[in-house]
Formats: sequence, C-alpha cells, structure tokens
Amino acid sequence: MNDYRGFWVFVEQLQGRFSDVGLELLGKARELADATNTYVGALLLGDFSEDKARELIGYGADKVYLFSHEELATYHSLAYTKLICQAVIQEKPEALFMGATPLGADLAPRVAAQLETGLSAHCVDLRLGEDRILEQIVPGFGGTMMAVIICPEKRPQMATVMPGVFSKLEPQNRQGEVVSMAVELTEEDLKPRVVKFKAKEQKTVALEGASVVVCGGYGMGSKENWQLLEELAKILGGAVGATRPAVDEGWAPEEVMIGQSGKIVHPKLYIGAGISGVMHHVVGIQDSEIIVVINKDPHAPFFEVCDFGVVGDATKVLPALIEKLKERLQVD
Amino acid sequence: MPEAVVCVKPIPDPKHWDRLSLDPKTGVLRREGIPTVINPLDKHALEVALQLKDNFGWEVTVVSMAPPETTQTLKEALAMGADRAYLASDRLLAGADTLATAYTLAGLIKKKAPNFQMVLCGNMSLDGSTSQVAPQIAHYLGVPHITHVSKVETEDGSKFRVTMDLKLAQLVLEHQGPMVLAVTKEVNLPRLVNIMGILAAESKPLEVLSAADLELDPSRIGQEGSPTRVRNLFMPEIKRRREILKGEPEEVAEELVNRLHQAGML
Ligand SMILES: Cc1cc2nc3c(=O)[nH]c(=O)nc-3n(C[C@H](O)[C@H](O)[C@H](O)COP(=O)(O)OP(=O)(O)OC[C@H]3O[C@@H](n4cnc5c(N)ncnc54)[C@H](O)[C@@H]3O)c2cc1C
Ligand SMILES: Cc1cc2nc3c(=O)[nH]c(=O)nc-3n(C[C@H](O)[C@H](O)[C@H](O)COP(=O)(O)OP(=O)(O)OC[C@H]3O[C@@H](n4cnc5c(N)ncnc54)[C@H](O)[C@@H]3O)c2cc1C
Repeated sequence: MNDYRGFWVFVEQLQGRFSDVGLELLGKARELADATNTYVGALLLGDFSEDKARELIGYGADKVYLFSHEELATYHSLAYTKLICQAVIQEKPEALFMGATPLGADLAPRVAAQLETGLSAHCVDLRLGEDRILEQIVPGFGGTMMAVIICPEKRPQMATVMPGVFSKLEPQNRQGEVVSMAVELTEEDLKPRVVKFKAKEQKTVALEGASVVVCGGYGMGSKENWQLLEELAKILGGAVGATRPAVDEGWAPEEVMIGQSGKIVHPKLYIGAGISGVMHHVVGIQDSEIIVVINKDPHAPFFEVCDFGVVGDATKVLPALIEKLKERLQVD
Repeated sequence: MPEAVVCVKPIPDPKHWDRLSLDPKTGVLRREGIPTVINPLDKHALEVALQLKDNFGWEVTVVSMAPPETTQTLKEALAMGADRAYLASDRLLAGADTLATAYTLAGLIKKKAPNFQMVLCGNMSLDGSTSQVAPQIAHYLGVPHITHVSKVETEDGSKFRVTMDLKLAQLVLEHQGPMVLAVTKEVNLPRLVNIMGILAAESKPLEVLSAADLELDPSRIGQEGSPTRVRNLFMPEIKRRREILKGEPEEVAEELVNRLHQAGML
C-alpha cells in the first residue's frame, strides 16, 4: 500500500472547456500533496492538444496524463473507465478525486468498482488523518448527519467532491509535464452509442463566486415579491439564489438553487428570506461568513444557524432594508 | 419474455428523520421504530419496467437488499404491478457500502434473473444518497450503464433510445442488449396502487434469500466486503452569533444595517 503515492484529479471537460470543480480539486490536491511531499496528477480525457493540457499545470498539477482522441470529446462511460483504470494501475496514486457532477457520479462508481476500491460521494470536505489516511466528509440524511468516511485498506482512495467547496488557484507559471497516454478503443468500449449531444445554453450564474448572496424561499409568496430580492442583490452587488420550493414555483431558475442538490456557496454575506432552514438548504450556505435570516416565524429552524435574525414579514422588512441600505450606501 | 429487474430500496420514511439519533456510546445510527417506505425514485424505475410489461409483455422482477421486516414495503411494488420480488436479507449483509451492496444485488440478479434485458434503479436513494450503486451493479453484471436518465424510448421493446441529463448537456444514447439504467423523476409519473393490485400482490411470490442461498463470496459482502468505513458520524454543529432582532420593519432594518456595517459587510 505504501507504493501508492500522489493525489490525482480527473478534470472533467465539456466541449473543450475545463469544469470549475476539476480546477478546484487541483487546488486542494496541491495542498494535500505539499503537506505530504508528493505530486499532483491530472487526468484529462478529450480531444486536446498538449498545449491545452499544459494549462492544468498552472492550476497545480505536476503531471497531466493526457488521453487525446476524437471519440473522447464526448463522454463514454466504458471507454473513460477503461483508460482511467489503466493509468491508475500503472501509476498507483494514493487518491483519485472527481467532481460530484452528473458525469462524475456516472463515472467514479464504475471506476471504483473496477479497481475494487472504496468511493465516497458528494464530499463537502477532505482532510488528512494523522495516519495519512484521507478523511472524507459526506453528508447523509439530507445533511442532518455527517459521516467521516475512510478507505483504510484499498488504494486509490476515491471521492467525488461537491462543486464550490474548494477554491481554484490563480494560474501560475509552474513546472510540470504533460504525459501523452496511448488510447486504444474497441467498438465495445464506445457502447452505448451516443447519437446526439446537446449542450444546454450555459446561463452565467455569478452565484458561486459571489461575495453577497441574497436567497429567497417559499415564504416570499409570489413572483412580484421576488423582485425585492433582485433589488437587494443589485444594491449589494450580489447574486440571487433560491430554495427548491421557490424554484418549483417558477420564481427562480433551477441553476440558482442552493443546497444539497444545488449549488454550494460561500459568500461573505448571505441573506435568506422566507426560508425555513432545513439542512438540505443549510449545507449549501453554512460556510458563509455572515448569515442573515428573515422569517416571520420566530421558531423557524433557520434562526438556530444565523448570525443576525430578523423576525418579521419579509415583504415588509425587505423594502425597509432596501431603503436603509440605499441611504447608507448612497445609491438609488 | 424479456425480463426487467427493478432494484427497490426500502428507506426510513423521510417524514420521521427528526427521530434519527446517534447512539452516544457506539456512534451507530438509531432508526428504531421509524417506518420504511420505497425510495421515491425507485417507483419511477418500476414504472419504466411496468410500461415495458404493458406495451411489450415483459416480466418484471423486483430485487432488494434490506432487513427482513421490509417485506411489507416490497409488497407495495408487487401491488403496483411487479410479478415477483426477491429480498436478500442476512445479518452477514449488514454494514455494506455501495461496492458490497452492488456485488450482492448483482449476485441476486445473476442467480434469479440471469437473462435480464434491463436493470432499473433510482438515480439516488434519499437516505445514503450516494448514486453509486447502479454503475457498480453494471460493473458486476458486465453490462453498460446509463445514469441520470430522464427519458426512455423504444418502438419495438428491443432497441432503446435513452436520454441522459448531465445538467450542462444532454446525451442521447442508443443501445440494444442488456444494460443498467438509473432514472430521475423526469422519466415518468409512477402509477398509484389500486385495490386490485393490493389483492393481486398477496398471491405473488416474494422470496427471502440468505447470503448462503446466493452463494456469495463472504469476503465481498457486508461490512467485511466494504472498502469504506465510517470513521465516525456527527451532527453538524454550527457556531453562530444568533442575535435576534425584533420590532417594526424600519427599526429592525436600521438595526441590521448597523450590525452589518460593524461586521465589515458593507
Ligand atoms: C450518511 C451515509 C453516508 C454514506 N456514504 C457512503 C459513501 O460515501 N460511500 C459508500 O460506498 N457508501 C456510503 N454509505 C453507505 C451506502 O449508503 C449503502 O451502501 C447503501 O446500501 C447503498 O447506497 P445508497 O443508498 O447511497 O444507494 P444509491 O446509489 O444512492 O441508490 C441508487 C439506487 O440503487 C438501488 N439500491 C441501492 N441500494 C439498494 C438496496 N439495498 N436494495 C435494492 N436496491 C438498492 C435503488 O434503485 C436506488 O434508488 C453511506 C451511508 C450513509 C447512511
Ligand atoms: C433529497 C432532497 C434534496 C433537497 N435538496 C434541496 C436543496 O438543494 N436546496 C433546497 O433549498 N431544498 C432542498 N430540498 C428541499 C428541502 O427539504 C426543503 O423542502 C426546502 O429547503 C424548504 O424551502 P423553503 O425554506 O423555501 O420553504 P418552507 O420550508 O416552506 O419554508 C418557508 C418559510 O418561510 C416563512 N415565511 C412564510 N411567509 C413569510 C413571510 N411573509 N415573511 C417571512 N417569512 C415567511 C415560513 O415561516 C417558513 O419558515 C431537498 C429535499 C430533499 C428530499
């Protein structure tokens, strides 16, 4: 087991663009590797040039294992699994991380099964135990419970990690190497056949990087009231998020849902209005520096985890808050 | 007739999750007295199979790994229209992580439904919520898998066109031959159980099998066969100021702006 060294990251790509979570994980892997005197490996599969692959070195990789082939531009679970397993068996990394995205959730379990190793899902933190065993923090039962998962005897230790929990490094001029890997694929590896690929229009949601997040829940009551959140966010230079029921009501798009099945945010300031504060939502915001809660029910569970709580009707408190802020910040 | 296998997981009823607790000594999760229900997405998986039954005469077999008292929950799947159910239940299976769970379910499928054309799972359970079991079952069965399935189409019940929703993109895949699908709630609207179904369920086979019945490798099942361990469980503890402001909207707004200013937020 001691032969296994190095922290690896599978960097997901869509139409040649690296996923944010892949870059975030490179940053985390860099930290873990520095703490243990080992290296960071990046796995890149797609139709890429070495120059493009080299960009990953700037984000923290020491070695980029590049599998370039036109069939790999689109995700094929069996082909991806085979190539990743080959590289792992050859190079023996101690850990392999992937983003907890739909693609990562499709790929990682199959890779883990083929390697007969453990995999922890949707991690919200990773840390090293004194025994150099990776502690993977996993929410369960909708976040009411957290589990510290370890994989003591099998290697590599594998985890999928929620987007947004780690920060990517500013690209730097670093030394590193791109290793071009052989790609041999059979007809069987490319099954089931992809007959259509449709990229959805990527609406840019500033939510993940926002320093202020104003979030609304079912208690906002209507699309008209929702405008209050937009206005508040605009004054504070922030982005608007929503809970699941608010998305279901059509007040906000799915992309801005915050929580266990949505985005994880860590702004300096989070303001939540008309939100009850169940763990499903709270797991997505608990790393905010300051949490403000506005709810008319003094017993709402959200007050338990707030810094400043306002007991009151959001449709009255928000307009007053907007007025006061405009005065204070001298905007109109 | 072709056979669809549906993996159905009984889970503690989410309505009662506030009654979950940790044993302070052992750190083990206590769920005594909490009723079990079918994992919601597994009903969608079952509905896909039942439509293949309605339209093309497929057989529908339910498989599960759970404690023996969950047979009542599996009866609901029979009442919805499945033909038979197999429950792997054994103390030796307890403490399984997803790898051991998938190995066990795949073993059950190989034993009882070796000629399956399709295995259907929910995309995620509500309790463990790892989404890992379906691809791992597919590995052990040696067939392809597709997760995040939002649409399953077929004209002849043999060649399938499956939509995989990757959030930022959609893939449409075609396949003929055995495979494992993990479905989301977008795939269909599960049928409701009716009284005829409940009556019919009483006479449908529901067999409970032990690890020995399934001839599983003891080193690959239960806690023993699980590469992951739970080092500990904890309830997240959140330390916050919890200053509660009350009063007229203008007053509390003023107060809040002051606090935010003091905290360096403005
Ligand atoms: C808080 C918590 C965290 C956990 N974290 C991890 C982890 O990180 N890694 C890990 O390997 N294990 C983990 N586990 C254990 C894991 O939940 C169990 O192995 C469980 O038996 C299967 O996983 P799941 O419920 O997550 O299934 P999922 O993969 O989410 O379930 C998807 C589908 O698979 C089918 N299915 C799953 N289990 C069964 C079953 N028993 N019978 C029939 N069909 C089934 C159903 O169709 C279900 O809809 C965790 C458990 C808890 C309580
Ligand atoms: C597996 C799973 C995953 C989930 N993932 C997520 C997720 O990622 N994100 C998410 O948000 N949810 C998620 N949910 C849903 C989650 O469980 C809750 O249902 C949801 O977060 C509640 O949203 P809410 O607070 O807006 O609504 P509610 O719980 O209905 O709360 C509304 C609140 O508004 C207050 N209110 C009403 N009127 C006013 C008013 N005029 N002024 C002020 N306050 C008022 C009420 O007192 C109440 O507290 C998930 C659920 C499941 C089962």
